[in-house]
Amino acid sequence: MFVKQRTISVCQGTGCISGGAEQVYSFLDAGIDKLHLRDSVYLKRSGCHGFCQRGPLVTVEPEGIFYSKVTPEDVPAIFQSLLAEGKPVERLFYRDPATSRPIAHYRDIPFYSKQQRTVLRNCGNIDPERIDDYLATGGYQALHRALFEMPSERIIDEVKRSGLRGLGGAGFPTGQKWEACRQAAGAPKYVICNGDEGDPGAFQDRSVMEGDPHSVLEGMIIAAFAIGAQRGFVYVRAEYPLAVKRLKIAIAQAKERGFLGQDILGSGFGFDIEVFQGAGAFVCGESTALVLSIEGRRGMPKPLPRPRTTEVGLWGKPTLLNNVKTFANIPLVISRGSAWFASRGTGKSKGTAIFSLTGKIANSGLIEVPMGVKLREIIFDIGGGVPNGKAFKAVQTGGPSGGCLPATLLDMPVDFDSLVAAGSMMGSGGMVVMDEDTCMVDVARYFLDFTCRESCGQCIPCRVGTKQMFDILDDITRGQGRPEDIDLLLEFGEVVARTSLCGLGQSAPNPVLTTIRYFRDEYEAHIYKKRCPAGVCPELIAKVGAD
Amino acid sequence: MEEIGLTIDGLDIVAEKGNNILEVALKNNIYIPHLCYYPGLKPSGACRLCVVEVGGELMPSCLVPVVPRMVVTTNTPQVERARRAIVELLIADHHYDCRHCQASGHCELQRIMARLHISVKQMRPLRWARKEIPQDTSHPLFDYDPGRCVLCSICVKTCERVSSGTINFVGRGYGTKLGFFGDKSRCESCRGCVESCPVGALVPKSTLPPSTEPSVTTGL
Repeated sequence: MFVKQRTISVCQGTGCISGGAEQVYSFLDAGIDKLHLRDSVYLKRSGCHGFCQRGPLVTVEPEGIFYSKVTPEDVPAIFQSLLAEGKPVERLFYRDPATSRPIAHYRDIPFYSKQQRTVLRNCGNIDPERIDDYLATGGYQALHRALFEMPSERIIDEVKRSGLRGLGGAGFPTGQKWEACRQAAGAPKYVICNGDEGDPGAFQDRSVMEGDPHSVLEGMIIAAFAIGAQRGFVYVRAEYPLAVKRLKIAIAQAKERGFLGQDILGSGFGFDIEVFQGAGAFVCGESTALVLSIEGRRGMPKPLPRPRTTEVGLWGKPTLLNNVKTFANIPLVISRGSAWFASRGTGKSKGTAIFSLTGKIANSGLIEVPMGVKLREIIFDIGGGVPNGKAFKAVQTGGPSGGCLPATLLDMPVDFDSLVAAGSMMGSGGMVVMDEDTCMVDVARYFLDFTCRESCGQCIPCRVGTKQMFDILDDITRGQGRPEDIDLLLEFGEVVARTSLCGLGQSAPNPVLTTIRYFRDEYEAHIYKKRCPAGVCPELIAKVGAD
Repeated sequence: MEEIGLTIDGLDIVAEKGNNILEVALKNNIYIPHLCYYPGLKPSGACRLCVVEVGGELMPSCLVPVVPRMVVTTNTPQVERARRAIVELLIADHHYDCRHCQASGHCELQRIMARLHISVKQMRPLRWARKEIPQDTSHPLFDYDPGRCVLCSICVKTCERVSSGTINFVGRGYGTKLGFFGDKSRCESCRGCVESCPVGALVPKSTLPPSTEPSVTTGL
């Protein structure tokens, strides 16, 4: 059987695997043996392609054919398409929801064409378990450059000039953090990568760790060289077993090739990375709690005022802690330069933002867009809008501590500062879309339930305040709301935000405060008319039926 | 010892450098409510009741060291609003039954309520804790009522000074309480935790009444 040279990659992200991608892969693999195609077809596993809604995903290169929702039964058809006269399997193409027109190439699909995938450049293209794939895309060249062509001051200067801000949520200027850690007295120093992504509905850090682990490692090694650290940790939730596995493979391969360990690439600089598995406490994403957790103690944030982690961190030593995506950006900043990096985004937010787009949206998945893009473009152009003809109601950004933004704010640019001004935040990049069938009081109740369970429990406003707000919201959704409840929520929400010890408590009231700010009429309908306008709260629907 | 000058509530005060605002205020008879601060122990900044205003910002006074020419206000509307809200939250969550509480009369929470003129009757209509959390009577020396505990961590830190930690926080979020590690406990029976508890959460085990009480006492 004569076929042209092809590369078939099967997405092996967590989403596609749960949809049966492993089976698709093994059917393809068996088929290649049976048809003696080993010489012409290269089958590989890849990281997350991002278009999780349509998984399992299979791509055929060099044509760039994109097959979605592939099942093992489709495998024979895919082999037929590889024949000299074969045609791509049209029934597996993605169809434009508006026109039902099948689209063969992923570059033509709006979900991809409107994105700017730079951090995610390798996710979905390379086999995350093979270092050669990463090297073939220019991997570890930034490290080479940093080690041999740039003194550490210049690396930090380059990161500073790029305008890169921490992508874990707070948006602290990365270069400034590196400089502070470099200048901090004390040795040894540590580098920690924060992969404790605990927000409900967020999976962007996981996808980067699963799909392109080497880019994270490369960023960490460059950071370690710049600040003078010898030991690093990747803190990953134990709920991310695939990320843990792939990071461990990547670390072993990087060691084998001399990118990690003693005397990296013959430069004399040595650095080692370990994977540390967190036990799944949301609050351990906070820097001081994370550090305590690695030390083997109870993860409770330390109160301000206190020295920064860059000065007194892990085991009391200067520690650089950055998010997964921040580290994954570093090789780009070094190899393409700060000017290129800063050319994208807005005045104060440079580069790109990565979001996990979920909820009531046609194309859920992992996306990367330049900072400053409008919410409307993300939700309607890339996300394909709200499915089933329903109306858009709100979008929640920033995880459980973010706010819910209404349709009137759809033309707002997405960057660190605009989101905060609107009462929400960038967070680590969750984006949950809600349609007209979503009850905003119920949404606020859901997120408060989460924060009051995940609070560390040490400070009173957060531990008891979030519980109090949850109880009030719970009453409202059960038809037991009282007229004074909205004022109580506003008053106590503000006190919790102003007096809580750490960022968790300070931002926990956001979902309540923004839903009251933008959807007050729904609260009033629940409280005064004992009616849930969206028809979600069961007790209030039953009441209507009984009338 | 270096002395510095600062202002608290308009009063000029001379204080020892390195002390925190709360210590300095208390020493000068300026009351700042506090639950988790205990003289001689490292402040934890957890109760948030000792907030004061410095330069328009709310700060936990137990954690902020005094600096020369600092201007501290302990009674601005924003400070009082925050304190009142925190105390009300605490009361609504408290196993509120002073009559049967051993700490009644020397309870820090009662004292704070009196000082701030907060009474249960005039409180805002918050939701009261719905579930009664059972007492933990596993420890041979004392009983623990999680419903009365304010998680100030004073007992944890007191214990750490004596034997390396036989009391600590367990659980998370709203369900956080104290744990005593049962048989694994290295308790030295000093009762320091019970002594230092500001409320009635840790109380000595009540001595059992005799099962049969002699009705007549006879002398020989």
